[in-house]
Amino acid sequence: MVNLWNLIILDPMLNGLVALASSLPEEIGVGLAIIMLTIIVRLVLLPLTLRQLSSTKSLQGMQPKIQELQKKYGRNKQKLQQEMAKIYKEAGVNPAGCVWPMLVQFPIWIALYQSVIRTLATAPENLLDLAQHLYSWEIVNSAIPLNSYFLGLDLGQQGSASGIGGLFLAILVGGTMWVQQKMTTAPSTDPKQRSQSSMMLLMMPLMFGMFALMFPCGLALYWLISNAIGVITQYFIGGGWGYLSFSSTAQPMANQGVRKVR
Amino acid sequence: MGGQSKPQGFSGVVSYDGILYLGSTDGKIMAINPSARDQGLPFPSSSSGEWPFTFILPSKGTLCGSSSVPVVIYGTPVTANGMVCVGIYNGKVLMLNSLIRSQNLPFPQAKDGEWTYPRTDDAIEPIVGSPVVANDTVYVCSSDSRIYALDMAYGDEKWRSAPLDGKLWTTPLVDGGTVYVATFDGHIYALSASDGSLLPWVFEAEVGFVSAPVLYEGTIFAGSFDRNLYAVKVGQDKPLWEFTGGNWFWAAPVVDGDIVYAGCLDGKLYAINGRTGSELWEFDAGSSIVSSPAMAGDLLVVTCDSGKSGDVYLVNAQTGDGQRISNPDDPQNDERESIDASIKGHICVQDGIAYICAQNNCLYAVDIARARISWKFPLDIE
Repeated sequence: MVNLWNLIILDPMLNGLVALASSLPEEIGVGLAIIMLTIIVRLVLLPLTLRQLSSTKSLQGMQPKIQELQKKYGRNKQKLQQEMAKIYKEAGVNPAGCVWPMLVQFPIWIALYQSVIRTLATAPENLLDLAQHLYSWEIVNSAIPLNSYFLGLDLGQQGSASGIGGLFLAILVGGTMWVQQKMTTAPSTDPKQRSQSSMMLLMMPLMFGMFALMFPCGLALYWLISNAIGVITQYFIGGGWGYLSFSSTAQPMANQGVRKVR
Repeated sequence: MGGQSKPQGFSGVVSYDGILYLGSTDGKIMAINPSARDQGLPFPSSSSGEWPFTFILPSKGTLCGSSSVPVVIYGTPVTANGMVCVGIYNGKVLMLNSLIRSQNLPFPQAKDGEWTYPRTDDAIEPIVGSPVVANDTVYVCSSDSRIYALDMAYGDEKWRSAPLDGKLWTTPLVDGGTVYVATFDGHIYALSASDGSLLPWVFEAEVGFVSAPVLYEGTIFAGSFDRNLYAVKVGQDKPLWEFTGGNWFWAAPVVDGDIVYAGCLDGKLYAINGRTGSELWEFDAGSSIVSSPAMAGDLLVVTCDSGKSGDVYLVNAQTGDGQRISNPDDPQNDERESIDASIKGHICVQDGIAYICAQNNCLYAVDIARARISWKFPLDIE
C-alpha cells in the first residue's frame, strides 16, 4: 500500500517539485517551486473545489428551512431525517456533495505536504530517505541537495527557530486561514451553534499558526499559499468577501432570531 | 502523515586498545569492553575501562519557550593516545580522556586534556562527519561550510577555513600537509593543513559529492549525487574514471590494492578495478548500503538497511559470493533479516568480530568465523 502510494502519488509529485526547483534560479528555487507546485495542484483540483463550494453554498441556502424542521421535529429524529431528505431531494442537493470532492483532494494535499517536507531534507536521515524517492533523471539528481533558503528564510528550519521571519510567516498562515474560514462560515441564529462556530473560527487558525512554528518554514509557505489561493477562489466564486463582510451585521441578525423564538 | 523525522544520529564504532568507542542513538558517548560483554559483567565495568558519558547541552530558547536539547551523534568517534574525540550534530567538538571518564569526574577535566569546542555555551553549525586527528590537530567539517582545525591538547582553534560550498556533512581527508574535502556543491578542495588556505588544485564536478573522499596512491575516490563514483587523480582536472550505480554512493568506498569496494544505496556492493573503473563483480544485498564495508581478511562485512531492519553479510572479497548472517532470535528463518533494526553506522572489525551499532540503540557482535551474531548489548543504560 505504501509502495503504491509512493509510486503513483508521492514520487511523481516529489520529483516534479525537485525538477521545478532545479529549473529555477538557485537562490529562490525551492521557495518558488513550492509556490508554483501548490498553485498547479490547486488549479488541477479546481473543478473539484468549485463543486465543493457550489454544494456548500446550496446547503447554506437551505439552512433556514433545515432549522425550521429541526424546531418542528426536534424530538422525532426519524421524521426529521425523512423531511430533510425530502427537502434535499426537492432542491436537487446531495448533502455529501460538499464532502466527497474534499475527500478526493485530501490525498493530493497529503502528497504535496510530504513532497515539501521530504524535499527539504534537513538531517542526514531525511537525505537518505529522499534518495529512495528520486528518479534517475539528470535534472533531479543535479539539483540535490537543494538550497533551502528563500527570501532570507531557511525553509528547512522550524518556524520557531527562524526568528522574526518564522513568526511573521506563522501569523500570515493563521491570518489567511481565519479570513478563508470567515468568508465561508455563515452566522448562525442559534447561540449554541454561533459559539461553536466562533470557537472553530479561532481554533483552526491558531492551531495552524502553531504548526507553522513547529514545522519547517517550507511547510508554512505551502499552507500560506494554499490559504491565499483558497481566499482568492472563494472571492471570485462566492462573489466577494462572503460572510467576512457580514461580520458587523451578524449580531443584530442573531438577536432577531432569538427574539422570534421567544 | 510521514515526512521528516527528527535527527536520531547513526554513529559508528571504533576500536582502540581493546575498547570499543561509539555514540549511541540516545546521544551518549560510550566505551565498551568486548571481553566484559562476553562475560556478561554489569555495565559499566569501570575496571575494564567501560563508561557511558552524557554531554549536557544548555537548554535552547525558542519562540515557544525553552526546551532541553538532545545530543545527536552521526560521526564515528576517533581515538588517539587514550583520548576520544567526537563531533556532535549540536555543533560541538568534544575531547574526552578515556581514563578520566571511567572515573566519572565532571567534564571537562582540562588538566587531563579534556575540552569542548567552542568552550562557551555557543555552538558552530551541525557536525555530521567524523573528526580526523593528525599532526596534533583535530580537523572537523561543519554545516557552516567551513573546516575547523583545533589544537589536540587544548581545543584552541588553530584556523578555520573560508566558507566553501554549502553544508559540509563529510569527513575531511588529511594527507601529510594537505586537507582534502568533497563538497555538496561538487568540488574537491585541497587546503593547507597548517593554515587552512586554499591550495591551487580544485576538482570541479557537475554535481555535488555525497560521500567522504578516500585517498589511495594519489587518487581520490568519492561518490556523487549523480549516482557516480568518481576516481580523481590529485592535480588533474578530469576524472580518471566514473562508475555509475543505481543510486548514490553514500558510504565512503574501501580501497584494497587495485580494488575499490563501494556500497551503493541501490543495495549493491560493487567491486571496481581501481585503475580502469571497470566492474569486477557486484553483490546484491537487497536494500540500501549506508555504511562502508569493513575488511576482515578475505571477507568484507557488509550491512544493508531496509528502513526498519537490516541484514549483515559476509562477502568474499575476490569472488563477491555472500553469506547472510541469520537473526539470533530466529536462526532457521531465512526470510527474517539479521537484525530487527535499521543499520546505518560504521562497522568496526576487531579480533575476528564485527561490531555494529544499530538504530534500535543496541550493539551487536558478529563472530565472522562462525558467521553468527554472538551477542547483543542494549546501549540505553543510564
